Amino acid sequence: MMFVVRRLLLTIPILLLVSILTFSLIHMIPGDPARVILGQEATPEAYQALRTELGLDKPIVVQYFSWLGKVVTGDLGMSITDRIPVSELIKQRLPATVELTIGTFLVAILIAFPAGILAATRRGTWIDYTSTFTALGGMSIPSFWLAMMMIIYFAVENQWLPSSGYVSFFENPTQNLLAMILPCVATGLRESAVLMRMLRSSLLDVVNMDFIRTAKAKGLNEARTILGHALRNAMVPVVTTSGLMIAGLLGGLVITESIFSIPGFGRLIVESVFKRDYVTVQGAILVSAVLVVIVNLAVDILYAVIDPRIKSGKGAGE
Amino acid sequence: MFSKKASKTLMSAVLGTMLLVTGCGGGGSAAPSTEGGNAAAPAPSTGKKVINIGLKADPPSMDPNISTSLYDRQVYASLYDKLFEIDPSGKVVPMLAESYEVTPDGKTYTFKLKQGVKFHDGTEFDAEAVKFNFERNMTDAKSKRKGDMKFVDSVAVVDKNTVKVQMKEPFAPFLSILADRGGTMVSPAAVKQYGDQYLNHPVGTGPFVFVEQVKGDHVTLKKNENYWNGAPKVDEVTYKVFTNGTAKVQNLRSGMLDIIDDTPVKEIPAVKGDSNLTLTAESGWGYQGLYLNNSRAPFDNKYLRQAVDAAIDREALVKVLFNGYAAPARTAFAKGSLAYNEALNTPVAPDAAKIKDLLAQGGQPNGFSFKLYITSSPENEQLGAVLQNMWKQHGINATLEKLEYGQLLETGEKGEFDALQLGWSGRQDPDQNFHDFVVTGQSNNDGRITLPKLDELVLKARSEVDETKRKAMYEEATKLLQDEAGYSYMYHQFVLIGMNKKISGFTYVPDGLIRTATLDKQ
Repeated sequence: MMFVVRRLLLTIPILLLVSILTFSLIHMIPGDPARVILGQEATPEAYQALRTELGLDKPIVVQYFSWLGKVVTGDLGMSITDRIPVSELIKQRLPATVELTIGTFLVAILIAFPAGILAATRRGTWIDYTSTFTALGGMSIPSFWLAMMMIIYFAVENQWLPSSGYVSFFENPTQNLLAMILPCVATGLRESAVLMRMLRSSLLDVVNMDFIRTAKAKGLNEARTILGHALRNAMVPVVTTSGLMIAGLLGGLVITESIFSIPGFGRLIVESVFKRDYVTVQGAILVSAVLVVIVNLAVDILYAVIDPRIKSGKGAGE
Repeated sequence: MFSKKASKTLMSAVLGTMLLVTGCGGGGSAAPSTEGGNAAAPAPSTGKKVINIGLKADPPSMDPNISTSLYDRQVYASLYDKLFEIDPSGKVVPMLAESYEVTPDGKTYTFKLKQGVKFHDGTEFDAEAVKFNFERNMTDAKSKRKGDMKFVDSVAVVDKNTVKVQMKEPFAPFLSILADRGGTMVSPAAVKQYGDQYLNHPVGTGPFVFVEQVKGDHVTLKKNENYWNGAPKVDEVTYKVFTNGTAKVQNLRSGMLDIIDDTPVKEIPAVKGDSNLTLTAESGWGYQGLYLNNSRAPFDNKYLRQAVDAAIDREALVKVLFNGYAAPARTAFAKGSLAYNEALNTPVAPDAAKIKDLLAQGGQPNGFSFKLYITSSPENEQLGAVLQNMWKQHGINATLEKLEYGQLLETGEKGEFDALQLGWSGRQDPDQNFHDFVVTGQSNNDGRITLPKLDELVLKARSEVDETKRKAMYEEATKLLQDEAGYSYMYHQFVLIGMNKKISGFTYVPDGLIRTATLDKQ
């Protein structure tokens, strides 16, 4: 467990670095929040008053440390535009994105695993070509286009599924699940293609290894050879890809969220950047960095489970 | 090899999923279901009548005192009442005010208030409440309404239902301001109770009562059973945010939304082609145009400004960019405005010889170059490209530079530009579309227009009570501005409200806001 502790300690400088970067980047974007909030109605006096109120007239270093001081005590501050604690905003927005991420990932593995295994074991046959072709297609189709087509077909033309209308699972499970189908499939399809390609090539590498030949020589049937031996060994790159994928999805579902009108985390960040809601952007990105760190940690632990050769030592790559 | 059976199952699973996913499955009937059979859009199980309204952006603040967003005003139309209202013809009429009197010098207003009106929290609406709201707008540290109220000197309670407002100087747009956020009445008790957090607990006297807001997602309001003007016909109104215009239209078509505040021009055929939907397309009060920087080269040269202005083919622009769903403009005043003058607003087709002449007079017979700042949206980029081509034919070369909205505002304010594309969303009173934008030194005069005669006219017009005289002043000022090409007006944007035919009781009001009090749903 030393490995886990070491990794956890390492997250502190990472998060600190993230906070500094976020803070300087958002302040580097031209256009200050007071201006954006006031819009064309700004009078010089109102503008100055708002800047003072928001603390924007203080030097940036002072602003950073007063923010950091609060963050350390668990206070992410008050949203500049919404006057709601940032932690509250994040609490409102994170569940939808987490659900969407899990759903997307489920769709992706449900398609990628059977398809990847089939393509690898039937290499060079029409099955391989079909799934490779479909995967390439899936990677090339922009997800917003696919999402729109799915809305038109499933929601507008046939009204089988809702075109939007996210509600929390705990409020109305049926409506929640119905509303999640299209967005999860629209993004999951694309992600499945990436995963399937990865699984296929990594399986192909493994099937040609000696231990598989041995297993086959010992008379194990193909299904057991692949599922029991090869797959486990082919999992390391797949887990890496999955980890990156999940980490990416947690902050990167903006387009899906905006098309299906899901109040998610990605949209919160993007909207806050547009509104120059510094405090919310900083808080949200910090939380998102924490999530990425956690996912990465989980991936590293999974490595060790899948492949005991990867231990706390040097193999544990950052 | 897998056993035959296993691999067959696996394959059919894969192909099945893929087919389902790509939508090639399904037994064919693509006929849209018409009547109510909307299994996918789950009507709330309680049988409540809910109207879902799609908004283009999140309404940031439920407190009119600090609001600066157009989208707030959409929600206010359900949540709050104002002292005055805009009627369908665009005129200001009493709302929570029963009647009013103005002294001939335009400096004292006496408002008689409606009786028996209560705020959603039970607080009575009376003269004290009005005084409270006025003073909050005038003095609160965070108030964004100070500009609206700057000519108000004092507010006095005469009796329970009468308020007297003393002005520092006559200000003709005052009633128009009271028909907008400046005259929006919030519950004094709620403000005292919630303080800084009032924006998350808004209380008005309007037809609907605040239930909840999930930032970036929706605002839910429920029927005000005790509404003074008769209880609304629907139980709930929900405002939902759709930042993607195409998705918003598809949600209108699928029945998830009943009304949308704005229809992207490219989606108009989809709305018009759907037999379940109607489209309201009316010219709004706003305008779009170009700030030409009058204070520095090349546009400190009147002839070059005129050349640039004359080379814009407004008819073509509106056809190309909006498929006709916008009105070509040469003034700040759209149809329905007191200061509207058809002759002055009628576009003039570009005349190559005249433009050549202007360029020569401006000392640039072979044309010149300048930089145009636009905001980075696909629509604006298209606008920029069309303009660029129109000017090019006359040897005028514009380079486009995209700026993000906040940065564009800042650049405009600092005056660090040749030309900059920025319009105005429009208000009822002509003064509110003109004064701040063209009078020397005013907050939105980014183009640094300085025309003493125009300043004089506009300042006189804002204190003139006689409408005919006011109109004449605006016309004269407009002619001066047109001759100087101080600002280049291009078009008045349309309000494009898409609606399901199940909705009845809708009346279009030129401020473009959707009034929900009278709406019903089949």
